[in-house]
Parts: sequence; C-alpha cells; structure tokens
Amino acid sequence: MTGSRGATLFALALLLPAIVYILIIVAYPLVDTFTLSFTDASLRKTVKWVGWANYQKIFGGDFATIIVRTFVWTFFSVAIKMIIGTCGAVLLNALVPGRALFRVLTLPPWIVPMAIGIFMWGWMYNGQFGMISGVLQNVGLLDRPLAWLAYGGTAFWATIITDVWIGVPLVTLYLLAAIQSIPKDLYEAAWTDGAGRFYRFRRITLPLIVPALVTMSMLSLIATFNSFDIIWILTQGGPNGQTTTMIIDTYKTAIGSYKYGEGAARAVMICLFLSVFCFFYFRVVSKISTGEAK
Amino acid sequence: MRHYGTLLAGSAVVLATMTAPSFAEDKTVSMIQCGDAIAETYPDLIKKWEAANPGFKVNVEIVGWAQCQDKITTLAAAGTPVGLAYVGSRTLKQFADSDLIVPIPMTDEEKAGYYPHIVETVTFQDQAWGIPVAFSTKALFWNKALFEKAGLDPNKPPATWAELLSDAKTIKEKTGVPGYGLPAKTMDNTMHQFLHYVYTNDGTVIDAEGKITLDSPQNLEALEFIKSLVPVSEDGPSAYDQDDMIKLFSDAKVAMIEGGPWVRNQVSKDIQWGVAPLPVGPKAKGPGTLLITDSLAVFKGTGVEDQAIDLAKLLTNPENQFLYEKTHGLTPLRPVAGVDGLVSEDPSWKPFLDGIAFGGPEPLFLDYKGFQNAMIDMVQSVVTGNAEPAAALTKAAGAIDQYK
Amino acid sequence: MSSGRPMIDRYRWYEYVAIYCGMALFLTFVLAPFVEGFLVSLKPLTHLFSSPYRFWPDDGSFDAYFTMWQSVPLLGRYIVNSLLISTVATIAVLILVVPAAYAFARFRFPGAGALLGAFLAVNMFSGAVLLIPLYRLMRSMGLLNTYFAMIVPGVAFLIPSAIWLLRTYMLRIPRELDEAAWVDGASRFYILRRIILPIAGPGILVVALATFIGAYAQQFIFALTFNSKSEYMPLAVGLFAFFGKERVVWNELMAASFVGIAPVMVGFIFLQRYLVAGLTAGAVKQ
Repeated sequence: MTGSRGATLFALALLLPAIVYILIIVAYPLVDTFTLSFTDASLRKTVKWVGWANYQKIFGGDFATIIVRTFVWTFFSVAIKMIIGTCGAVLLNALVPGRALFRVLTLPPWIVPMAIGIFMWGWMYNGQFGMISGVLQNVGLLDRPLAWLAYGGTAFWATIITDVWIGVPLVTLYLLAAIQSIPKDLYEAAWTDGAGRFYRFRRITLPLIVPALVTMSMLSLIATFNSFDIIWILTQGGPNGQTTTMIIDTYKTAIGSYKYGEGAARAVMICLFLSVFCFFYFRVVSKISTGEAK
Repeated sequence: MRHYGTLLAGSAVVLATMTAPSFAEDKTVSMIQCGDAIAETYPDLIKKWEAANPGFKVNVEIVGWAQCQDKITTLAAAGTPVGLAYVGSRTLKQFADSDLIVPIPMTDEEKAGYYPHIVETVTFQDQAWGIPVAFSTKALFWNKALFEKAGLDPNKPPATWAELLSDAKTIKEKTGVPGYGLPAKTMDNTMHQFLHYVYTNDGTVIDAEGKITLDSPQNLEALEFIKSLVPVSEDGPSAYDQDDMIKLFSDAKVAMIEGGPWVRNQVSKDIQWGVAPLPVGPKAKGPGTLLITDSLAVFKGTGVEDQAIDLAKLLTNPENQFLYEKTHGLTPLRPVAGVDGLVSEDPSWKPFLDGIAFGGPEPLFLDYKGFQNAMIDMVQSVVTGNAEPAAALTKAAGAIDQYK
Repeated sequence: MSSGRPMIDRYRWYEYVAIYCGMALFLTFVLAPFVEGFLVSLKPLTHLFSSPYRFWPDDGSFDAYFTMWQSVPLLGRYIVNSLLISTVATIAVLILVVPAAYAFARFRFPGAGALLGAFLAVNMFSGAVLLIPLYRLMRSMGLLNTYFAMIVPGVAFLIPSAIWLLRTYMLRIPRELDEAAWVDGASRFYILRRIILPIAGPGILVVALATFIGAYAQQFIFALTFNSKSEYMPLAVGLFAFFGKERVVWNELMAASFVGIAPVMVGFIFLQRYLVAGLTAGAVKQ
C-alpha cells in the first residue's frame, strides 16, 4: 500500500494542514526576516536596501567571540543534561521503595512555567539574600557573600546550571523509558553469568540507550542553542557581555536597539549555523533509523 | 476522496477561527502610563478633558516599568502607535529622527516656567518633542550609625571623592560592612551612576556640536574612581542595580549609596540616614548631579495628535503637575509657589533641589540603547577587572560614535 | 512484595545507601529552587532583604498566601488563562500532527525525508528571532490582544517535536495490521481512524501531555509581545508584570506562583505514570 500514486496523494492530504500552518506562521516570517537582513530597517519608516552591509557589520564586531561562547555554553549545557539525566534515569529505575515518589518529584522543573522557575533561580544566586551563598557561608565554604551573577565566570556557569535544571526532567524521563524498554532477559543472562551491577550497566544499559541519548542530545542541542529566557531574565547577557549568546545578541540588536535589519542578519546567521548542526543530526539519526527498522 | 475533504474542511475551520475580525475604534486617544497604577490625579483630569472635548475618549493603559518602553516602541514600529505615552526623555531623539512622534509647540513663556536645563532634555533640532512629566536629581545617602561605629563624624558626609573613598575604606575596615553601594548590573542605572561621576568632575560625554568628548582626563578619573571603589563596595557590583542598593542600604549592608528623592521613602525606618549633595571629583569646578526627565510624547499617525497634545498640556500644567509631583514624591519641574513649603516641611528635599542648577542631562543619542549598552559594558569591564579604565574608556568612546 | 522479587533486583545494604544518597543529591538539585521559592513566600518582606542568611525564617508565616489576592487580583484568571491557552494549543497541535505523523510513519513518498527535515527545522527558528515579522503577521490577521495571539504562534513551534515523537511511536505499530485491513478493502481513512488511532492512543496521550507542558511552560515571549490585555495573560506573564513594579512584593509573588502552578502539578502527579509508560511502550527504541 505504500509508494503508489494514491498513497502519495493520501499522505500529502494528511500533511497539508500542518504544512500550510507552518508555511504561514514560520516560513513567511522567515522569508520576511531574510529580506529584512538586506535592508536598514529600523524605527524609521523608510527602508533602504543595503546589500551585504549588515553581514559585513556582524563580522566587524566581536561576533566570533559570541559564536564560540554560544558553542561552549551549548556544549556544556547539553553534556551536563545528558550526564545528570542518565544518572537520574538509572537511579529512578532501581527497584527501591519510594521510587514512584522520586519519579514524581523529578518533574516539577519541566512543568512550571519557565519564567517562574528562572525567578526562583535568580533568588538562589543572589549574593546577599540567596540560598547558595547563604548556605555555603553557614557551612563555612564561603567567608563572604558571593553574588553568582556578578562575575563573567560564575554567571556563565550559573546560566548553564539553570538551563540544565529545566532540561533534566525530560531527559531523565526519556532515558528512563529507554532503560525500561531494554529486554529483561539480557540482564538476567548477564546476571546468571555472574556479571556485577556496574558491569551490566556498562555493557548492556549504556550501549542500548545510546540511540535515545543521541536523539535527546540533538533535540536538546537545538533548544539549548536558542535558549533565550534563562539568560535574558538572569543576566540580560551581562556582566560585560560574558553570557551573551547568539540569540541574546540577536534579540538585543533587533528588539533591544530596534535595528531590525541588522538583527535579521544575525538571525539568518543563527539559522545557518543550526542548519549545519541539523545536517549532522539527520546523518546520525538516519543511520540509527535504518538500524532500528528491522 | 470524501475523507480528504473532511480533513481539509477541518483544517479550514481551524484556520478560519484564527482570523477573528478586529473591530475599529473611533476617536479614542490611547495613552500608556508606565508604573503600577494610574496617577491619582489623572482620572478626574481626564474626565474633565473628555467633557470639554465631546466625541473623544481617553483610554489609559498601565504597563509595568519593565516592559513599558519596549512596548511603546514596538507599537510605534509596527505602525499601531499609541496616542500619548510616558517615555524616558532620552528616547525622544530617536523617536523624532525616526519620524514617529510630533513636535510639541511650546511658548517661550511655558519654557521659562521650568527649572533650568529641563527643557533642554526634550529639545532636539530646536523643537520640543515631549512635555516633561517627571524629574529627578541625585544625591548621596549615608548611614549615620555606621559612620559612628567606624569612628567617623556621623554628621559629616563626604564632600569629595577622596573623602568618600577614605570614609568607605574606614567603614569597611572598622565595621566589616561595605562602605559604598556601587550598582553595575546590566541596567540603565549603571550608566546613570557613571554619569554621576562625570558630572561631579566637570566631564561631558558629547558636546553641543555632537562631538564625542567621552575620552577626556575628567572621565578617565571618573572611571578610575569607580575601579578604586570596587574593593570598598559590596561584593560583585555587576549583580546589583540601584533598587538593590536601596534594599542593601535599608538593611545596613552598605553605608553609602547615591540615589534619587524616592530613596527617602523606601529606606527602612530603623536606619538613621542623612542626605547630601553628591561628592565632587578633583577636577570639579562646582557641585554637579545627574538630571533625568521623563516626558509625555505624542505619536504620529493616530489621527488624534492635536487632542493628545491638548490632553498632555492639561495633565502637566503648572498646577496639576505640582500636585502630581507631590503625591508621587518627585522633584518639582517648576519653581512654583509650593516648592518652598516642600523644603521647610521636609529638609531632605534640599540637596535634590539645590542640585538642579548644576545638573547634567542624560546625553541625547540617536541610538540611545546602543549608547547605553556601550557605557554599561565599559563600566562592567572595569568593575569585573576585565579591562583597565584607560583602555575601556577609549574603546567606549570609539564605540559610541556610531550611535550619536 | 519483596518475596516475589527476583534475586537480580535485590540490593545489598551499601547499594541501598548509594541509591538513596544519589537520589537525595539528584532531588536536591531538582527541588532546591522550589524550597527557596517557598521560603521566600513565608518570609515577611522586611525579613527577606536581611542578612546574614537564615535558611529557616523564625518569623515565617503564611500571610502572603492571603494578602496576595489583593496584590494579584487576577490570579484566578491567570490560572484559567494558562490552562485554556495550553489546552487549545494542545488540541490544535494534535489535529495537525496526528495525520502528519501517520503520513510520515507509513507512506513512502518523494521528498518525505526532506519534508520531515523541514518540519524539524522549525525548531531552529526560535520565536525570539521571528518576533518582529510575527508581530506584523498577527497584526494583519487581527489577532493582537486576543487569546489567539498567544496560541497561534505557540502551536507552530510545538508541532516539530510532536510530529517526531508520534511518528516514532507509530513506526512501532506492526505494518501487518493495516496491510491486513487494506487487503480486506478498508479505506485508508478507515484504517487510520479505526486501527491506527486506537493503538496509537498511549502515544497520542504522551504527545498531548508533552505538548501541553510545552505550551504551558513556555508561554512567555509571545504573550509578552502580542498581548497587552491583562485579563488574557497567562500565569507567568501576569505575574511577571508585578516584577516590574517599583516595590516588588516578592513573598506574595512566590506565593502566587505556587498557588498558580498547583492545578497543573496535581494533574501531573496523576498523569505522569502514563507519560513514562507511553514513552516506554513506543517512543523509545533500541
């Protein structure tokens, strides 16, 4: 039933509503952005065609630093999410009393409106009144208040930690599902052969959740690359621009300074970089998909 | 095929429900006021104005400070401007240059009614582009108890930068409490704080011809002074803005802060504080302070521009404006009869009013956001130790040239 | 219980210790901000900004939970708005995604891979980048300051992951089922409605839950930009407006946040088992 003309038409009919919707709500504004990127669009009512000027301007500034920072930020955020997510999934998978409760308690960061979660973190990072600085002082690890968002280094990591916090529940849940769908007899066979718990994790669990890890990390990568709310609410890209990622830079230019043309050019650059990512993403995913179709 | 039809019809319904018709509003003067609530005096005045202008309705929307300026600009940029809006006067040049607002006719008599320098904050190309509606000057607040605890004279605030620094150092050493509250967060008031030092050291940012004068010995001293304040200030200035400073000051966690007249109402009752003119730098030729105004701007393309101007003038006439200032604790814009009474009732007004004559404005830049970001970056790079003052100043001076 | 458990799942005492310690560490990270938020909601405002830091407030009280109704008079409205916006968005996403996912899972047609790629590529364009053109679009559609101003763009960015999740789930449904029906003369639409949909039920539930949360948790920037009517605002933005105040009543805001998210939290405590079960059943494979 696949491959025939009728089937193709039917498939397209099924896809049509979604395609039309995306064309209107995403593709059209995207074309708009692309066109804008070659103009000097701003608050002024007159718009002039400026060719590549906006793009030349981008590379005249500290764009290279911002790109590198965005990649480093994204890499660490995704990597930490995957590590904590894997640990969380393994722990939640353990058949110990209370695990149903633990599983419920994992979910809140994912469920609360992001902005509210971020405001709570804002309190945590406050040097004078916040929990982290306060507790560390009480137990003697800090001898004076430390405002985590005040320094480039700590602010950079603080924003990553908050991004990890928001992303971890879904990753954990997804990996837990992956672990639970591993056939039990594999473990039993290994157990019968006398393999220890850690050995079974390394030789059975880990290899078998790699596809889930790849999928999750790639999806997470795109979302993290474009992560906006966290940095914007916590630091607005500061201090001294040390948490300014590409998306923050674009927003600052387009919405913050009303340079729609320049901002659009930056937005196009983001799309370009992500396209490269996605190219590799599909290479990996299609490899896995062909493997799993059997 | 019938089934395909059902699917398509279904999606058509979804799409159709998305395009609910918008209804036209006729002859409404829309107005955005920033803040928490409408000014107490406005509803009556608006009713009065509506009665005098049949056929027109005023629709006031209150938008919180955090979103207010961006919202007003977005509306204008999208071609759906608000009739009358409360904006920082620093935005007027950009709005005017972008042809988004209309000039406000102002007679010489009207201009003469204001304190000096105030009309300049809304003037660009010899025309007024907004009506001043709120105004502030800055002064130094100090905690008398902490001064005493550190062995300093609690009734003698520092008058110069050198005294400020040595007092702050003494307090930090003797009491362990940071002597000074230095805000350097990614917020507009970080730039304002820098301008305090510029204007108390005879510095300028841009001259009357539009030449950038930022990279001057005066301003280098200002930036070096900021650097010298970091060790005696609260930990991590770039995490705190001026509002945070008020809280820290209120909790006796910093001994001195610089702020506007509103600070007087927000400091905790438990703190014994005094307020004095801003300390001056080594190159000062006299006192100085930062003078900021907010304005009512009338946007172009609403069809009710004349009505909006008329309404704005009513809201800000000498009598109504003073009442508004009194209820909100704002510095008076005009030396009206009631001002003397203000000082005798509450002497803490004095440094704020005395400062007006020596005040410098927020510099008018075409791209004020670009300018502001460059200034914040400059201050933060010095505060966090990422750059030396001289290099940061030269870099910022070069960067802001494109924004003027 | 434990007597029925196979030996492989028995833990030695030190393994129990390790598991519970790890769990404690993990949950500390996950829950600490909520603890902080809760403590903030208990502290009187004057105490909030005082140091040295005290973890447990000695003069803590639940006052904020009563006084907040004056500070945030529309709180009930925000809660309802949030649920309404997320529900409508979820329904719209399902209407668009179920047929699309089925098409991707079952049919080989020219350009299928590219089209799927194009859908997923939508994820690359975050709302923040497209804000200005979207604003113009919403305006020309007359949607500004309506519920739809927040729903319509939100749906577009929820479609990609939903398609991906559901397609993966549907790939697991044995092809033999629909092929048998096809041979029996059933129409394609009948197969989708009567065979695929019931089997894909758990998968659709997972997608619905994930989409609902996506819509619920991320309704911020569109609401902030495209809607200015406070009576239509979702929870996060409605509360955010109070952060812009001259004097932020933090304890009441935190209290309002907790009360605001309570309905969805409670709902999820009951539904989360389906989420994991659904993910296990199909969306993930080795």
